[in-house]
Amino acid sequence: MANLLFTEFLKLKRAKMMIISILGAAVAPFIVVVATYVHMKTKQPTEVILFEELFYQTNLYTVLVIGVPLYGVVTAFLFNREYTEDTLKNLLTLPVPRISFIISKILLLFIWITMLTLVSWGLTLLLGTLGQFEGLSFSLIGESFKQFFTGGLLLFVLSMPIIFITLVMKNYVPTIIFTIVITLINIMTANSEHRDLFPWAAAGDIANNTLLSTYPLQYSYIAIIFTSIIGFIATIVYFKKIDIH
Amino acid sequence: MTVIKTSNLTKIYGKQKSVDGLNMTVNQGEIYGFLGRNGAGKTTTIRMLLGLIKPTNGQIEIFGENFYKNQKEILRRIGSIVEVPGFYENLTGKENLLINAKIIGVHKKNAIEEALQIVGLQNETKKLVGQYSLGMKQRLGIARALLHHPELLILDEPTNGLDPISIKEMRRLIKSLAEERNITILISSHILSEIEQLVDRIGIIHKGKLLEEVTFDYLRKKNRKYIEFQVSNDNKATMLLEQRCNIFDYEVHDEGNIRIYSHFGQQAEINKLFVQNDIDVVKIAMSEDKLEDYFTRLVGGDTIG
Ligand SMILES: Nc1ncnc2c1ncn2[C@@H]1O[C@H](COP(=O)(O)OP(=O)(O)OP(=O)(O)O)[C@@H](O)[C@H]1O
Ligand SMILES: [Mg+2]
Repeated sequence: MANLLFTEFLKLKRAKMMIISILGAAVAPFIVVVATYVHMKTKQPTEVILFEELFYQTNLYTVLVIGVPLYGVVTAFLFNREYTEDTLKNLLTLPVPRISFIISKILLLFIWITMLTLVSWGLTLLLGTLGQFEGLSFSLIGESFKQFFTGGLLLFVLSMPIIFITLVMKNYVPTIIFTIVITLINIMTANSEHRDLFPWAAAGDIANNTLLSTYPLQYSYIAIIFTSIIGFIATIVYFKKIDIH
Repeated sequence: MTVIKTSNLTKIYGKQKSVDGLNMTVNQGEIYGFLGRNGAGKTTTIRMLLGLIKPTNGQIEIFGENFYKNQKEILRRIGSIVEVPGFYENLTGKENLLINAKIIGVHKKNAIEEALQIVGLQNETKKLVGQYSLGMKQRLGIARALLHHPELLILDEPTNGLDPISIKEMRRLIKSLAEERNITILISSHILSEIEQLVDRIGIIHKGKLLEEVTFDYLRKKNRKYIEFQVSNDNKATMLLEQRCNIFDYEVHDEGNIRIYSHFGQQAEINKLFVQNDIDVVKIAMSEDKLEDYFTRLVGGDTIG
């Protein structure tokens, strides 16, 4: 598995998707910090906005709006390129066992999402420091890191059905449409008291400690785990038996 | 020893039997030409042999073992190209081979350089595969298939997209692999003349069915060019051929029917010799080159595909 993972990294050499995804992950912190800064400086009398608010806003947008399509594109890229570059037949005849193939891709996806999470968290910290926002403390750094990481982890867990769609459709477009629909539902349910039953919206609330009390919090966790496991099982079952053309 | 043996191998897509009850055998050390027109079922068969698609029916034995019982170990001993080889276009040729080397566990230090050298790509160190020509990709595909020193090489139309000179080089390469490394090779093609000088045995597939599986020597004999004499006394005639003309490559068919497989263009001299020795020559004829037409006769005629 270590060798397989090594080859997964090698495949990313000179890949533009890496830099594109980093730019994508930089969007939320950049807009949040800059917009907040401008807002703070132009408002009379000057308003004090705390560092904590920057982290909260950035994580909110990352998990609920940008993260799903962004990580969806990364997922589609990882799996779909083996079809578009027609390299799957080489790998599977080496042979790479089909399950190992899926697992190594999933591992890489986890590492990739973690890296993008670090980018958005680190950039918020950096830009916020440059903008001299108040209220930065070690405990805030620790707490915000935990929240960002939770958000990234939950979105990774929720990638399983997205992997399945990518494998079945063998195309970027359905994956992107699916993730956009998820984002739209996140936005539309933002003011709904039932939103925590929707796995992706629940992920946002769990990451930011804003779960509503409408339902027991187990319901949200169950929704997320259920979605993930179904997606994973569907992926494995499908990919184990599918003919490779 | 048999390297590949399929029994009743069948693949059905919808209503179409793309491969239909195929019983094929490939023997150790031979170059086996798998011949068929577009859509005959060559690639489908090869994909089944490599475990990429599952047969609807039938059995596969490779290296004397049930393929599905020991797929992983069997595949390790095979190198293959299926249709056009695919590569990671953002990587160099060498990096692409490194992926295979890592996964298979090829630890020999210069294994990759050696493989690239065999196909003449050792100097393309900077170029990304995305910038390769079709012929270069095809050659890189061969290098990749050879990287782990397979015992069996399965090549699906490896000359696809190559120019005539490259086709010749590819043939020479394949021949040398079979001879020097004693690799068993299955090579598919839709042109008989392209693999004619290469293969030991051919299997002809048409509409999913294996029509014929014969050694190439047999075919060549059956379809060889010859001068035909119909003479009154074949014993005397053949004695003259051997002693006076040094001709040994001949066959006596029916009563007095002699076929000579060499010395084309000398039928007048041979005729004169027969007549001078009181042999009546009833007929002299030149055969057509039937090998060219053989394949067409077997599978041709109807519409393409
Ligand atoms: N995935 C598929 N779904 C449906 N039919 C298929 C599929 N793959 C192949 N076929 C059909 O099976 C038949 C055999 O195809 P195959 O690719 O094996 O032919 P081939 O001998 O390799 O031809 P070529 O010389 O053109 O490469 C064709 O009629 C083709 O249309
Ligand atoms: Mg084919």
